[in-house]
Amino acid sequence: MSIEYLKKKRILLVDDEPKLLDMVVSILKENGFEYIYTAQKVEEAVVVAEEYLPELAILDVMLPDGDGFSLMKRLRKKGNYPILFLTARGEDEDKLDGLGLGADDYIVKPFLPKELIFRITAILKRSYKDDNPFVQLQNSKIDFERAEVIKDGEQILLTAKEHILLSILYRNAGRIITIDVLCKELWGDNYFGYENSLMAHISRVRQKIEKNPSQPVSLITVKGLGYKLLTEAN
Amino acid sequence: MKSVPKLIGRFIGILFMSLLLLIILNVLVLSFISVKQLSNSSPYQTAEEIAVSLQKKDSGFKLDSNNQKWLQTNNIWAILIDEDTKTVTWQTDDLPETIPKSYSLSAISSLTSGYIDGYPTYTGASEGGIVVLGYPKKSYWKHIWPSWDYQFIADLPQTVFIVLIANLLLIVLIYYWVTSKLTKSIAPIVQGIQGLVTKNNVYVKEKGPLSELAMNINQTSQTLQSQERVLKKRETARANWIAGVSHDIRTPLSMVMGYAGQLESNPSLSLDEQHKVNIILRQSEKMKNLIKDLNLASKLEYNMQPINMEKINVAVLTRQVVVDFLNIKLDKDFPIKFEMRNNVHSSFVLADEGLMKRAITNLIQNAISHNEKGCHIFISVFTKQESCIVVVEDDGIGISDKQIEELNNAPHYMISDQSTMEQRHGLGLLLVKQITLSHNGEMKIGHSCYGGFSVTLEFPINNVN
Repeated sequence: MSIEYLKKKRILLVDDEPKLLDMVVSILKENGFEYIYTAQKVEEAVVVAEEYLPELAILDVMLPDGDGFSLMKRLRKKGNYPILFLTARGEDEDKLDGLGLGADDYIVKPFLPKELIFRITAILKRSYKDDNPFVQLQNSKIDFERAEVIKDGEQILLTAKEHILLSILYRNAGRIITIDVLCKELWGDNYFGYENSLMAHISRVRQKIEKNPSQPVSLITVKGLGYKLLTEAN
Repeated sequence: MKSVPKLIGRFIGILFMSLLLLIILNVLVLSFISVKQLSNSSPYQTAEEIAVSLQKKDSGFKLDSNNQKWLQTNNIWAILIDEDTKTVTWQTDDLPETIPKSYSLSAISSLTSGYIDGYPTYTGASEGGIVVLGYPKKSYWKHIWPSWDYQFIADLPQTVFIVLIANLLLIVLIYYWVTSKLTKSIAPIVQGIQGLVTKNNVYVKEKGPLSELAMNINQTSQTLQSQERVLKKRETARANWIAGVSHDIRTPLSMVMGYAGQLESNPSLSLDEQHKVNIILRQSEKMKNLIKDLNLASKLEYNMQPINMEKINVAVLTRQVVVDFLNIKLDKDFPIKFEMRNNVHSSFVLADEGLMKRAITNLIQNAISHNEKGCHIFISVFTKQESCIVVVEDDGIGISDKQIEELNNAPHYMISDQSTMEQRHGLGLLLVKQITLSHNGEMKIGHSCYGGFSVTLEFPINNVN
């Protein structure tokens, strides 16, 4: 499954600084996003949202005629799409974390383009499923809907735990996920002592997706830290 | 307030001691005087002696010349009252005119115990009757009816004792009343002073004997309060100013980093241009970290940063920080090796997750910033006795012993009056120190066994639920 379908999503971008808007638009365009709509004020954003029905909104916290949080509430009344906050204040992190306002993620300015793109694609991946169900790896492809792997034309079923494991790794494809996060997803809060079980699951997944499981190319171990999944899109 | 009863107790002690001393002194003086009075040979005795020395001669009664002289010099007159006739049969030459020459029995009884015409008289038995000595007027005071109830004399020791105790009690009561009144007026003053210590707003009623003191305390409290307000206002202003500046820098810096990031992945750039873009990126990254550190440091300094303590697994947290670094930075020049030892995975520390992440991030960032040519970074988390220890070290250029000494003993960066250059150099590290201290931890800077720089953070383990 490529992430090409995500690049067709309509994105609403709201920031009061026109130069910053230009820059974010150029980053998004460079990374293949085609439908980007911008606004500089709350009222303008509401109008643009009503006209273009965005599938993702990126909002600045401080706007000249209001704040991003109240804008989020207004936007959410019309449609339940993911929202990412851009904030220039460190303390907003606490606000966004602590108040549980329902934002999907936030980025503190300044940020690197690749960080922004990663966050956007991660949110989009979480929120929108692909029509094309396959995730292409180097030696196999994963069909998450059917919970199976297709390797050399052969269909291999994934167990529930293997499915969870691959899903987390795929959502964060190309990034290391710590052993702790994986164990927690698989066994809940009291996951201590499951590290060996995790290794057993990883090795079974490798049997299914890798050509040579002892020399993995898709599911990589980062020693002492965690694992990462490399898809063909990476 | 504890000191006031202690003070009163001490005063009562001193009071008792003084009373005791006073009694002893009195007894001593009294006995001294009594002894002196006794040795002063009582007039009764003199009368007896004179009576004995009065000889009956053919020509009448005669006193020897010595006694006669003594009586004269002491201005004492003497008479002899005859046994049978009750008339004066002998007398000294200086007998006043007013002294009667004959006596009834009742008159003799009266003069024995008292006076004749104001002269204190004393009697002694002689051959022919009784000798009466008349001392000068007002030379003695006589106890005319010296008789007491027998029981009264028998009970005298107890009576004296009871009276003494009653007196003592009275004195103590009076003292207690006076001191308690004083204490009552001191108590609010003491409370006021204690309030001043805790910087509370203090008001003491300006009444009673210590009203002036109360007034002074009230004035001091007001001065302190207004100083506190001014100080707080200034601190808030400074922290807000730093927050404001860092906020305003973030948006322009976003654009620098954004466009530089885009350029970095532009394949049409020459190698030299790519290198320049890389420098822009790295330096903006440094600025970003500096803003973050400055803002947090000022907030920690002025207690404007909420610290949410919860049980944190430092091993898990450190591993996440390392992974976040690897995921975002992707710096090939700085490979990170992570290690956990000694069952650290099941040890918890009471900490603020955000601040803790920040501390470890800063240490890794520090290793990267100070080794332009790249280095290996080694991070280990382990337990040692009751502590959880995080060590971040590298095999980079390291620092000299002198610099280590300076960093370990560096004053707070906001207090330091050294040149600003040096302060800035260590802001990231000093922030780590500040965070560590706010978690009851310890930070040590030293040489790494890998050849570079090493920072050790030590936190007390808290495995209690």
